[in-house]
Amino acid sequence: MSETKVSRRTFLRYLLGTGALAAAGGVGVGLAHGAQAALARTDEPKARYALIIDTTKCVGCGACVRACNIRNHLPEGKSYVHIVQKGDAKQPWFMPVQCQHCADAPCARVCPTRATYHHESGVVLINEKLCVGCKYCEVACPYQARTFDEERGVVDKCWLCLDWVSEGKDPACVQSCVLGARIFGRLDDPTSEVAQLVASGKAKPLHPEFGTHPAVLHYIIEG
Amino acid sequence: MGQTAWGWLIAIYLFLGGLGAGSFLMAAFFELSGWRYRAKFCPVALVGATVSGPLVALGSLLLIFDLGAGRTEPWRIFYMFTHFSSVMTWGIYILSIFIPLALVYGFLELMESEPWLKGFVSARLPWLLRNGRTYRRWVAAVGSVFAVATAVYTGVLISDVGPAIPLWSQPVLPFVRIPMLPILFFISAISTGMGLTFDISATIADPEIQRRFRIMDLSHILLIGLENIAIGLLFISALSSGGSAAESARIVLYGPLAVVFWVGVVLVGLVFPFVVHAYAIGRGQHSLASGVGSGVGIVIAGLLLRYMIVYAGIPAAL
Repeated sequence: MSETKVSRRTFLRYLLGTGALAAAGGVGVGLAHGAQAALARTDEPKARYALIIDTTKCVGCGACVRACNIRNHLPEGKSYVHIVQKGDAKQPWFMPVQCQHCADAPCARVCPTRATYHHESGVVLINEKLCVGCKYCEVACPYQARTFDEERGVVDKCWLCLDWVSEGKDPACVQSCVLGARIFGRLDDPTSEVAQLVASGKAKPLHPEFGTHPAVLHYIIEG
Repeated sequence: MGQTAWGWLIAIYLFLGGLGAGSFLMAAFFELSGWRYRAKFCPVALVGATVSGPLVALGSLLLIFDLGAGRTEPWRIFYMFTHFSSVMTWGIYILSIFIPLALVYGFLELMESEPWLKGFVSARLPWLLRNGRTYRRWVAAVGSVFAVATAVYTGVLISDVGPAIPLWSQPVLPFVRIPMLPILFFISAISTGMGLTFDISATIADPEIQRRFRIMDLSHILLIGLENIAIGLLFISALSSGGSAAESARIVLYGPLAVVFWVGVVLVGLVFPFVVHAYAIGRGQHSLASGVGSGVGIVIAGLLLRYMIVYAGIPAAL
């Protein structure tokens, strides 16, 4: 027989070699990934923001929903803000919901790729370059604040218009609210309206029982 | 109905993961207990070992197909190995170890029964054939750990969404804070694995086999009982906790998913196989139709169970 017999030793050597190569590749990807994350850190000053929604003023007009849609160039009918109707048919009231920017964000925990992360200000952001579009975060968000961008195949959500905010302006939803039901400001400035509303306990996190510790959004709910 | 992010692709994946893992465990059990060597040809070990890898691989393919950017830019999938607080990251490690092991196991079984493969192996890798049983034992033993991990992880994956989808994160009992779904999916994985490798395949290959492994009828009845308890507890717990969990239970018990549940899961997957196996115990054997029929019922019900759970997942009310 002229065919060469592969000895067990050679076979195992090849097997081991392939395994080691794959492992090295995995470690390499991991290291590159870590380095990228470390480099991506910016030196922006830490700022803590608060967005308070006063449901006693909200009439559910949907201006914030529309403003968010335009600001983020979202397809027709899509927005990072959705309005939940509460109460009964006789006495309805409205509660706009968007990303609460939780300190213990389940979306960030379940994300297999670390695409969801906390900005230094505490705002929860998505690195779209890392997102695979598995939608695990969308399922795991108890506030139903995440949407799927079919076109780009990634998950997206409210990012608090962080570019405008860092220039000292308000997020689009706040600017559009004609009834003043949205109050935006810095939580780390004790003289600000938001800091006082939160400190006095008038504005509270929504559904604290979810255990996610919403850091940015607070709600004024009466009755 | 329920959440809309995950649909039937995920449901089929959860099912295939369980079926593949259960089939592997059946083959591994026959291998490690020595039952495989009671007869010259063991269809349970052959089918279990050969189908488990492809089944789980197919499921994983569906998972990739359900991705967004990860499908169009597949290199992004490698990022999924990087975040250890995510059950999906654990899952991708488990799958990347289990699938190759299961494929190797399938090869080790096939080389014994496929003449052309046996000829090829004995010419090229004679040591492999000589020590076939040793290698199979090792692969079966190590693979079993990952098979259990695969079956359990499919349940952990969806129960780890916590308060977002109350049905999926229901605890076993109010004072036992372990989620029920991993346990239910594991029971169903073993059940469907037995259904596929023993009831269907072994009965077709050799109806006499049922007489040699009478314990299988009892095992089936035991698993059906356990699955019954798990499903019962899940919905009692969901109904009593109110809110979205109770709403989920209602759409399953008497809402849009009632037919899937009562006919597909309960009648086809629990009552019918129970009656068949109880009858077989009394009669001392199966007919071809009863063996295959109960197996098909169990496997179909396994798929419908995953489908029902995925679609009944109603997000927590805001």
